[in-house]
Amino acid sequence: MENRPITLGFVGNPNCGKTTLFNAFTGANLKVANWPGVTVERVEGETSYRGQKLKLIDLPGIYSLTSYSIEEKVSRRCIMEEDVDVIINVVDASNLERNLYLTMQLLELNKPVILALNMMDIVKDRGMEIDLHRLPELLGHIPVVPVSARKRTGLEVLLHAAVHHYEEGPHGKVITYSRGLEAKIEKIQVVLQARYKDVENPRWTAIKLLEYDEEVSEKYPVDLTSIIDQNYEKQIINEKYDYIEAVIEECLFNQKSKAVKTEKIDRYLTHPVLGVPIFLLIMALVFFLTFTVGDFLKGYFEVALDVLSSGANTLLHSIGVSGWLISLVVDGVIAGVGGILTFLPNIFILFLALAFLEDSGYMARVAYVMNEIMGKVGLSGKAFLPMVLGFGCTVPAVMATRSLESIRDRRRAILITPFMSCSARLPIYVLFADMFFGNYAMLAAYSLYIIGVLVAILIAFIVEKLHPSKNENALLIELPEYKSPNARTIAIYVWEKVKDYLTKAGTIIFIASIVLWFLLNYNIHGVAGDVSLSFGASIGKLLTPLLVPAGLGMWQIAVALICGLSAKEVVVSSFSVLFAINNINSAAGMAELSGLLGQAGFTSLNAYALMIFCLLYSPCVATIGTIKKETNSWKFTLGMVLFQLAVAWVGAVLVYQIGSLFV
Amino acid sequence: MYLCEGETGKAYQVAELEITPQITRRLEALGVNEGTKIEILNHKRNRGAFIIRVRGTRLAIGRRIADGIAIKEVPEDGK
Repeated sequence: MENRPITLGFVGNPNCGKTTLFNAFTGANLKVANWPGVTVERVEGETSYRGQKLKLIDLPGIYSLTSYSIEEKVSRRCIMEEDVDVIINVVDASNLERNLYLTMQLLELNKPVILALNMMDIVKDRGMEIDLHRLPELLGHIPVVPVSARKRTGLEVLLHAAVHHYEEGPHGKVITYSRGLEAKIEKIQVVLQARYKDVENPRWTAIKLLEYDEEVSEKYPVDLTSIIDQNYEKQIINEKYDYIEAVIEECLFNQKSKAVKTEKIDRYLTHPVLGVPIFLLIMALVFFLTFTVGDFLKGYFEVALDVLSSGANTLLHSIGVSGWLISLVVDGVIAGVGGILTFLPNIFILFLALAFLEDSGYMARVAYVMNEIMGKVGLSGKAFLPMVLGFGCTVPAVMATRSLESIRDRRRAILITPFMSCSARLPIYVLFADMFFGNYAMLAAYSLYIIGVLVAILIAFIVEKLHPSKNENALLIELPEYKSPNARTIAIYVWEKVKDYLTKAGTIIFIASIVLWFLLNYNIHGVAGDVSLSFGASIGKLLTPLLVPAGLGMWQIAVALICGLSAKEVVVSSFSVLFAINNINSAAGMAELSGLLGQAGFTSLNAYALMIFCLLYSPCVATIGTIKKETNSWKFTLGMVLFQLAVAWVGAVLVYQIGSLFV
Repeated sequence: MYLCEGETGKAYQVAELEITPQITRRLEALGVNEGTKIEILNHKRNRGAFIIRVRGTRLAIGRRIADGIAIKEVPEDGK
């Protein structure tokens, strides 16, 4: 058996289950959810079938193979040029008609295609039937394999078909167009082959030339004025759909175009008047659960941390470790990293709630519900999806802006998404709201989420005023069927996020805590006897004057904010290290910190200004890196960081100065 | 008439797409082309967006696109 791996490309409409299938084959844990556009990058994986190595490529979902959107170009290039040996066309069997349009285009590529009929369980549940004998006949005898990516059935059969069909090679033409078109295709093929001997797929190239396809016309410039007088794209599309309608007529029985349950739910969730209030209520519920259930679980973590901290102290003393190392471990690592770990329950609940939201099918509705509000600031409702994701983590949220159509929209969405309160800012709110706002802690934390959204929208509004765009209001998004969230999907989603959080605690926060410990314990002369003479204090003191108008004129705060650029949780871990507090999230830890801060005249107003600053300034280096990668512009990225710092400073100063008038 | 003038709960047929080529292509890829049967499931007032059922799935369509989709009525039960 040959050893070269066969490359299988997973191609299909958005939200038809490509990534679920890819995960099932490769054991990967890529994110899946129930809204179109979750996958934004191609991902590779491996598996094997009876000794044959297989390379799998998961591609972002596409509706068509033209060359007019980024995803389509990426997918088409990957299929045509990167040696995809077999196309695994994943289709949502419960939505066969629309899905087959892409299939028709794939079949013209003249590569082996295998149709993976996903979501057959839904087809059965609805009482529909698909004629699995007739369907392949009408699609040029390609293998048609029913699978269920979620229930992991049909997977072996699909691989068998891939390996077998690869050896067999592609089949001939499937659709025969109307006589007029076919005559033109034939003539163009003759001209093409006379001019370019090496043209690989003359029929497809001829069809693309008839459609005035940009990429193909550039690659094979030929004079066709004697053959065609206009763009035949529309006619070709219409004839493809005519063919599909005939296929559906012959192969699909008991068709129910209505998704009764979904439409019933949508009557409320996308209600013209109630839609927005319902969305706000849902988000309020998400954060309510995050704070209450999370806080309930938190207690157990604190007890564990206390035991660990005193245990480590005793152990290190008993084996005679030197004082500075004990201080590093207990005051640096355990205080910093351990303190952060106690927020894990809040983070866990937040992501659990977001996972439910994303897997239920509601996300796409948010784009519809918020469309008019976003329209007022020059964006489509689709730009609100990255913003909702931003409540979880800014990095994937910035990447999700790829689903927006124009570069202008993308940049605007990237500009405002970081103002959404991500999960890393949660520990700051939990801590400072609890310390300074007592019974109103949750209200204070809520207000920050709302201010984040308002600032984001306000900034989009100002940008729109400065650079008015014709209000495009060109929302166009598919609304998937609602389904009860899948336990496995939710588990993977939440586990990946929890893992990220733990990894962050073990890497960035760990390192930041150690670095900070050194900065606080040493100065140019060696060990600093007094913290206020350390490196850290000197750096902080440089910036203190700038922060005085915001009520944040303490060198420790300046240091914590700088450290917070590595990751926002580090603001909290830095407070632990700066003030040498072992279990910052416990009642005792909080009392200690608020006491120390109180001595310096730090009140609830200062605390609120601090939270505002943390809400608005650059989330973290990872976000900055992602923005650079996505915009491919250092100018934009650095401009944005400065802008965020300026907004944060202005916001905190406004809060503090105006607040001072009343308090 | 245009999609934006349609009524919730009624079935129509697409007569013509009178919008930019870019959006026309996106609509066609999503299954909305000339002759396609659609039904309006929901819409917002005051120049708001629409939700239509098309080829067994649902699309949310912003007002500017809805303004450019010419439709005609089809008889009741016209499947």
